[in-house]
Amino acid sequence: MAHDNLDQRRHAEASQPAADGEPRRRFLTTASGSAMAAGLLGAYGTFGYMLGEFVYPASGSVRGWLFVCTTETLAPGEAMDFTSPAGAKVVVARQGAGTSAEDFLALSSVCPHLGCRVHWESQDDRFFCPCHNGAFDREGKPISGPPQAANQSLVRFPLKVENGLLFLEVPLESLASCPAQRANSLRSGSESDDPDTHSSGVA
Amino acid sequence: MTIRTKQFIIACLSAAFIISLIFVQWQEVTRREQESGGGVKHVAVPASSQGCVKCHQQSSPGIIDHWTGSTHAVKGVGCVECHQAEKHDADAFDHYGAMIAVVVTPKDCGRCHKTETEEFMASHHAKAGNILASLDNFLAETVEGSRTPFNPHSPTPGRDVTMVNGMASVDTGCKQCHGGKVALEAINGGLITVDELKPDESGKPTNTDIVAQIKKASNGRPILAASSWPNTGIGRLNLDGSRGSCSACHSRHDFSPRRARQPENCGKCHLGPDHPQKEIFEESKHGVAFRDLHDHMNLNAKDWVLGVDYTQAPTCATCHMSGHSRNGGKVTHDPGGRISWTNRPPISMVMDTDADGQVVKETDPEKRKALVAHSWQDKRIAMKNVCTHCHTENYVDSFYKQYDDFVINYNEKFAKPGQSIMNVLREQKLITKQDFDEEIEWTWFYLWHHEGRRARHGASMMAPDYAHWHGMYEVADRFYMQLIPQAREIAHQAEEAGQTAEAEAVRKVIEDLLARPEHKWYEEMKVTRKAAAADQASVTSPENSESAVASVPAAEEVSTESKASPAAPESKEPEPVIEPGSKAPADQK
Amino acid sequence: MSRIARWFYERVPISGEQLAELTNEPVPNHLKRWWFCLGGTPAYLFVIQIVTGILLALYYQPSTLSAFESIRYITEEATFGWFLRSLHKWAATLMIAAMILHQMRVYFTSAYRRPRELNWMIGMSLLMCTLLTGFTGYSLVFEQLSYWGATVAANISDAVPIVGPIGKQLLLGGDEYNSRTLSRFYILHAAVLPTTLILLVILHIAQVRMHGVTEFPEPDDEPTAPKHFNFFPDHMLTELMLGLVLMIILCALAVTLPATMGPKADPMSTPEVIKPEWFFYVSFRWLKLFSLSFAVISSGFIVGAMFVWPWIDKVLRRITGIEEISVYIGIIATFLLIGLTVWEAAVAH
Repeated sequence: MAHDNLDQRRHAEASQPAADGEPRRRFLTTASGSAMAAGLLGAYGTFGYMLGEFVYPASGSVRGWLFVCTTETLAPGEAMDFTSPAGAKVVVARQGAGTSAEDFLALSSVCPHLGCRVHWESQDDRFFCPCHNGAFDREGKPISGPPQAANQSLVRFPLKVENGLLFLEVPLESLASCPAQRANSLRSGSESDDPDTHSSGVA
Repeated sequence: MTIRTKQFIIACLSAAFIISLIFVQWQEVTRREQESGGGVKHVAVPASSQGCVKCHQQSSPGIIDHWTGSTHAVKGVGCVECHQAEKHDADAFDHYGAMIAVVVTPKDCGRCHKTETEEFMASHHAKAGNILASLDNFLAETVEGSRTPFNPHSPTPGRDVTMVNGMASVDTGCKQCHGGKVALEAINGGLITVDELKPDESGKPTNTDIVAQIKKASNGRPILAASSWPNTGIGRLNLDGSRGSCSACHSRHDFSPRRARQPENCGKCHLGPDHPQKEIFEESKHGVAFRDLHDHMNLNAKDWVLGVDYTQAPTCATCHMSGHSRNGGKVTHDPGGRISWTNRPPISMVMDTDADGQVVKETDPEKRKALVAHSWQDKRIAMKNVCTHCHTENYVDSFYKQYDDFVINYNEKFAKPGQSIMNVLREQKLITKQDFDEEIEWTWFYLWHHEGRRARHGASMMAPDYAHWHGMYEVADRFYMQLIPQAREIAHQAEEAGQTAEAEAVRKVIEDLLARPEHKWYEEMKVTRKAAAADQASVTSPENSESAVASVPAAEEVSTESKASPAAPESKEPEPVIEPGSKAPADQK
Repeated sequence: MSRIARWFYERVPISGEQLAELTNEPVPNHLKRWWFCLGGTPAYLFVIQIVTGILLALYYQPSTLSAFESIRYITEEATFGWFLRSLHKWAATLMIAAMILHQMRVYFTSAYRRPRELNWMIGMSLLMCTLLTGFTGYSLVFEQLSYWGATVAANISDAVPIVGPIGKQLLLGGDEYNSRTLSRFYILHAAVLPTTLILLVILHIAQVRMHGVTEFPEPDDEPTAPKHFNFFPDHMLTELMLGLVLMIILCALAVTLPATMGPKADPMSTPEVIKPEWFFYVSFRWLKLFSLSFAVISSGFIVGAMFVWPWIDKVLRRITGIEEISVYIGIIATFLLIGLTVWEAAVAH
């Protein structure tokens, strides 16, 4: 009967020395084993990587482009102090007569040596740090004192000029300052096309 | 299941797991994009304004809230940037370590917003405060109130009223739209304005004596006179010599451009019986479309350019100020640049403007050509460049013909005649020099300042009801049923008083007017009736007369029964009854 | 033995054979059936909870002033924050569901009988601790439902005779919800309860190993086939498969039904509808059906009865003579449970 044939065949298969099937079986065994290992590693590895991204602080600090002054406020060769909302102290200087970003320079006025505040000395055409007599040229490169020995320049802040207005990209948040808040929902709420959201008188 | 099978299954399931993690990653990326694109901007208070915010968050949290929602906040423009003042400014004071002034003027805004301020200062909006010397001002200051304070003549229960401020109407009414003169209180009880301070180019007062007279509060703040502040009239005369108030349209403290794009914003001032632009817009098809589609018009766009960001419907801003695809998206803060008729005066004039932006009134063509710097045709083309975004050239040109015809009809039929009647009355000294003390002066005022103006505005912005029923119909009614009869009555009274020559002069003007073809209809039937009545007196057979039923008073007597209420468009005198069968005047003469 | 192995054996004297014997338990064939994996499922999900919980704790701030905002930060700003939070939330639901199903399996196969009564009680303790963990976890979000749910729960515990008021005071850190309450919930949720759970799980699995698993021949088994199979690698692979399936399900749920945030807790206004988490629906509905004291006391009795069921079962069998009396009672109880839960879910009040 068919049923017996099936049993016979199965027994025959089992008892066959399977000489030619051996490499194939071994291949399949290693294949399945490695496929499983690769799969598990890949899947849980990716998962673990995502967890790692979660742990790593999201966007560093929140930064934004903030208005400093109009281009007219500074004459070429002049510099002014600017404090960011987070408390970072910046020196903004105008080097060229033009009104593009290249004519201006924004340097952190924190000395890279030990953190004292530098100030601009126009008579000596340099930034000077009174703590340990460090000095920097108008580009912020160290020219004497401990910063020169360690070759530490003043940190530059990105800046841009738009419509005659000067903007700096500075960190907005720090523990000491007012926390950076998300722009008021009254304004952003009306971003949607929902007719109900801009019925109120404010934005 | 064998181990091998299980291992393969695990490999497949791992693959499925990785795919689901890919979905998770995709979600995260989408969320990120939405976050940054959706304008979740962070606002940090600039260092110099942190002190302000800390205190005012308690004392006036709404201001802080509004500011936080503004673009200024996102860009780091805080309290100090706008309110900063210099020591010698008239209204500057030291407020907890910061030298500030309360009132922010276009000079302050113009530090950063140069172009807008220049355009605005050149515009008619900035001149709105000059109404102070005009007709309307007399109306509000003297007729509706009193230029000097006066005593109340009976008590107000519950309050101690010692003096009546007669300038209240102009302070709360006219000046809130047109702009008043910002005034500081003086130590001697008077007021100090820009006239006394005489500021220089930078806005600092040159009259140091008067500066010493400025009254200050206990914290050093110069006291702003209550009659002059609050005031965000668009032509406000500021202490630093600048004219205008940017917050008239860009309300503080969020200074929303979105709001300024919508008709409700302009409608704070541009509405009402004398210039119902807002109501006219709402009646017009432009307004109907706007009301329906304004959610889809991208009102929050940074640069709101017609033809690029939206096309559904125009608002006030669209036609009069906003940028469009044909001018590079450039906004102008001078709305006068696209207007070809000025419908403000009693008689409309074309907007030929000179180098200072003033309307050229010169009549001699040669002299005129020399003066005109920007012609009305240029302005019309500028406006047509907006219209043609949605309408074809022929459509637009034909509309302008309809509009021109309307204005000229008004000018020629009613405005110039009415003006000539008033002129002759004044010349003949039959009305007093004082305005608004006689009925006819109110009548004329209504005719050109209210009804005539709104008729012209209605025509200019496609609102048929305002052009006609609220417009020319009322103009005609006012002219025929009130102005003419009242002028005739004055002439009659003058004659009775013996001033025959003056009366004649007036009558001549009126008769010449009414003899014109467009006015002939008014007297024709009455003339016929008078003639018929005279005939009837001499001839006994009634069937010869074709006139209407007797007991109809003569034309002159009609005028005496006219009611004095200027506001009533339906004058109450009985209409001359006209027989249905009567023919046109021509054959009866 | 290699040098390294010898080095290790000197310090940790357990041979490979001993280790194999300890861990490589022979798993009876019936465990090849999938529904016997219901014990491993909660264990795996518990591991997920610990991992995601620790990561979430890096950002969570247990103060009434900043808790809500910190969770908003996680949900809206932290990279994959929404994902981790959703995983944590869904794994909690699936873990409790799997535990309940596991308990039902154990119950209906009468696996609580002698000598396994103690393990049944350990299991019940595990269930109670997990439910409490779920409750405290939800209270940490400081949404409206968190605040009011905690207030209601504390008042219910207040109704327990004798120890109730003390329990309420201990839970809230005062007479009512105050600024120190959240810290208590946090420590319970993140430290005390997880530790207790780990210890109980170790005891639970140790008991299973000690007693071994009873063989359960199925009618369609082949008579000559081996009666056991190896834990390593066979059952291990099954568990791995299960783990992956759970991960895929969790990812799908996290993406399609992510955890959202309701309105922030407002002690001034009670929301219209207050409900606890789904796993408390049955007791919530029970509470609404009867007076407070009756509901509390009767609930206490029912839970107590569940704890000592092995002995109740013995007594009932003796009295009635019906061997499967527990099964019938169980069927009725299951329907009641489902019914009350669904009823509570369907209505607002």
